[in-house]
Amino acid sequence: MAIIKKYKSIIIEKHQLSSDVFSLVIKSLGKPFKYHPGQFLHLALDAIDFSEQWPESRCFSIQSSPSEDNIKITFAVKGRFTKRMVNEIFKGSQVFIKLPYGDLFTQDHNRNNVVFIAGGTGVTPFLSLFSDYRFSLYSGAKLFLGLKKKELNFYSDLLDVARINNPDFDIKIYYEGINGFISVQEVIEHDNNDNVFFISGPPMMIKYYKNELTKNNISIERIITDDWE
Amino acid sequence: MNMQNIDQIRKEIIEKTTSYYNAKFLDKKFIPGKSKVNYAGRVFDEKEIINAVEASLDFWLTEGRYSEEFAERISEFLDIEHVLLTNSGSSANLLAFSALTSEKLGDKRLKPGDEVISVAAGFPATVTPIIQYGLTPVFVDIKIPTYNIDIIQLEKAISDKTKCIFIAHTLGNPFNVKEVLRIAEENNLWLIEDNCDAFGSKYNNQYTGTFGHLSTISFYPAHHITTGEGGAICTNNPLLANIVRSFRDWGRDCYCAGGENNTCGKRFSQQFGNLPTGYDHKYVYSEIGYNLKMTDLQASIGVAQMNKIKEFCTARKLNFDIWTRIFSKYSDFFILPEPMENADPAWFSYIITLKEKNPFSRDELTSYFSNCLIETRNLFAGNIIKQPAFLNKNYRVYGDLSVTDYVMNNTFFLGTYPGLSNEMFLYVEQILDEFMIKF
Repeated sequence: MAIIKKYKSIIIEKHQLSSDVFSLVIKSLGKPFKYHPGQFLHLALDAIDFSEQWPESRCFSIQSSPSEDNIKITFAVKGRFTKRMVNEIFKGSQVFIKLPYGDLFTQDHNRNNVVFIAGGTGVTPFLSLFSDYRFSLYSGAKLFLGLKKKELNFYSDLLDVARINNPDFDIKIYYEGINGFISVQEVIEHDNNDNVFFISGPPMMIKYYKNELTKNNISIERIITDDWE
Repeated sequence: MNMQNIDQIRKEIIEKTTSYYNAKFLDKKFIPGKSKVNYAGRVFDEKEIINAVEASLDFWLTEGRYSEEFAERISEFLDIEHVLLTNSGSSANLLAFSALTSEKLGDKRLKPGDEVISVAAGFPATVTPIIQYGLTPVFVDIKIPTYNIDIIQLEKAISDKTKCIFIAHTLGNPFNVKEVLRIAEENNLWLIEDNCDAFGSKYNNQYTGTFGHLSTISFYPAHHITTGEGGAICTNNPLLANIVRSFRDWGRDCYCAGGENNTCGKRFSQQFGNLPTGYDHKYVYSEIGYNLKMTDLQASIGVAQMNKIKEFCTARKLNFDIWTRIFSKYSDFFILPEPMENADPAWFSYIITLKEKNPFSRDELTSYFSNCLIETRNLFAGNIIKQPAFLNKNYRVYGDLSVTDYVMNNTFFLGTYPGLSNEMFLYVEQILDEFMIKF
C-alpha cells in the first residue's frame, strides 16, 4: 500500500444511474491522486480538523484508472451514510477523501487466464484495471458479471473500451431474470490449475463463489477477493 | 471561542516563533579557537520551528498530517513507492531486517542460522539485527579509498547458507551497486541498502536507497536532514511495505493509523490464526513486532527539512571539494577519499586515512584537532568484531580484514555538513598547516 494521503476534493459530476445507484466524479483540489487499479478510498462528508480524528467515512472502490485526472466511484444506497451522500453531495460540493487502500491487483499473481467474477457494483474495482494500460499485460482474461437486470448494466461502454485495450478479453454477463446467476460450472471450466480467480461483489455472493471454487479443488491461494463488511 | 479567534491566536504564536528564532539562532558568529568546528549538526531556520509549533498546536502527536506529507515528500524525492517512517535509522535497519524474517515470505524468509554478508568497518546498527535474529553475519573486507565492500571478496564469501546482503553506502559513497545487484540476483539474495549516511547520493544518476529490496534512512542530527531522532524504510515491494508496517506497529495485521478504525472495511469479518471469526482486526497480530513509530512533531520538522535537501546535498559536495583542496597539500601523508565509479555522493563526511609509515599517528592529529576545538570521528566501530559486544558472538570472517584493521587504526573523518562556513574551513586549514609544519 503506497502512502495514504488525504485529499481535499470537489464533486464535478453526480449521476443517478437507477433509483438507488449513483456515480460521482471527484477532482482533487491539491496534488493529483495516486493509486493503483483495484484500490479503494475513504470518503468523508464532514470537514477534517487535523487536531481531531478523521470523520465518519465509508470505503468505495475506485472505478477510474490511475491514468485519469479524476476519480469515479459508483455506489448503491444501502444505509445511513450513503443516504447522506445522496442528500448532501451535489456538483460543486467539497468532500474529503483518503487513499489508496487495498492490494487487490498489487498482490503478486499470474496474469494468464485470469477469471474475474463480479456482482453488481462489485465490478467497479475491476473496471479500474480494465481501463488501465496494465490490463494489456493480461492474456486470456475472462469476466463473469452478474446483474439483476439489463437496466442496471451501466458498464457496457467501459467494457467495450476494455475489449479494445485487450482484444483477447472475453466477457459474459448474467441477468437474473434472463439467464440467472453466474454459473459455477462455467467458471470452473476456466480452471487450468494455475490461474487466479478474482471475486468482487456483495459479501454473500463472494462467500458463495469462494466456497464453490474451493469445493471444486481451486486452492484458496488462487482466489483473491475484494470483500468488505 | 470562535474559529476566527482561534486562527488569530495561532497566527500570533507563529509570528512570535519567527521573532524568537531571529533573536535566538540567527547571526551566530564563529570565533576561531573559541567556537567549535563540529563534524555535524542540525541546520535549520524558522520554518522547522514553525512546523514544530504548528504540530504542537494541532496536538495530534502520533502520525498525522505531517507524517503523511513527510513520507510523501521522501517518496517523491527518491521516486519510490513506499516510505514507512520510524523513530531512528537504527530502528529502520531493525525493521527492514525483521521484515525479511516474516513467515509471509514463505521459503524466502530469513531464518536463524542463515548467513548475511556485511562489513566490519561500519556502524553497529547494520549488523546488530542480524545477530539479534540469530543469523550469522559474514564480514568481508573493504577497499580504500572508497571504504566500501570489496566486491571480489563479497562474491567469494557466499556460501549455501547466504541469504542476504546488508551493507551501507559508506559515509555517503555509494557501493558498487551494479555488481552487488548482479551478485544478489545471481544468488537469489535479499539486498538491504543501509542508506542512512547517503540520503541524496546517486549511482548511475539514480538515488541510492532505490536499488535494494529495502533501504533505510536516518534523520539523526548528523545526517543529511534531521527530525532529531527519526528514520525511514523505503521499498517498491507492497508486501514488504505491509510487513514493515506490521513490525513497526506492534506486529498488528491491521494498517489503520493512530485514531483510525476500519480503514480496511472488514474489521469484524475475517478469521486469523485460531481466533474466532470476526475477532476485531485492530487487535490481530500477525508478526512479533515493536512500536517504533515516528511522531507528528518529528515529521513536521522533516517536512521543512525536505525543502532544503537538494541545497544540503550541494553544500556537502562543495564542502567535500574544499577539504580535498586543503588536504591535497599533504598528499604524501594522507590517502584522500574517492567516489565510487558512476557515483555522485552526497558526502556524509570527509574521510582520510594516514599513509603507511607516517611520521605521526592518527590519534596525534585528531587530538591536536580536538584541542583546537575541531571535531573528528573514527569510521564508527572500526573493526566491529573487536568491539566488546561482539567478542563472543557468532559470526564468520571471509579472508582477512586487514584493510578494516588498517582503517580502525589510521582513519578519521571531518564533517561535510552544510553548517560549515568559510571561516571554519580557513581556521581548520590554519590549524592543519601548524600541525604539518613539523613534518
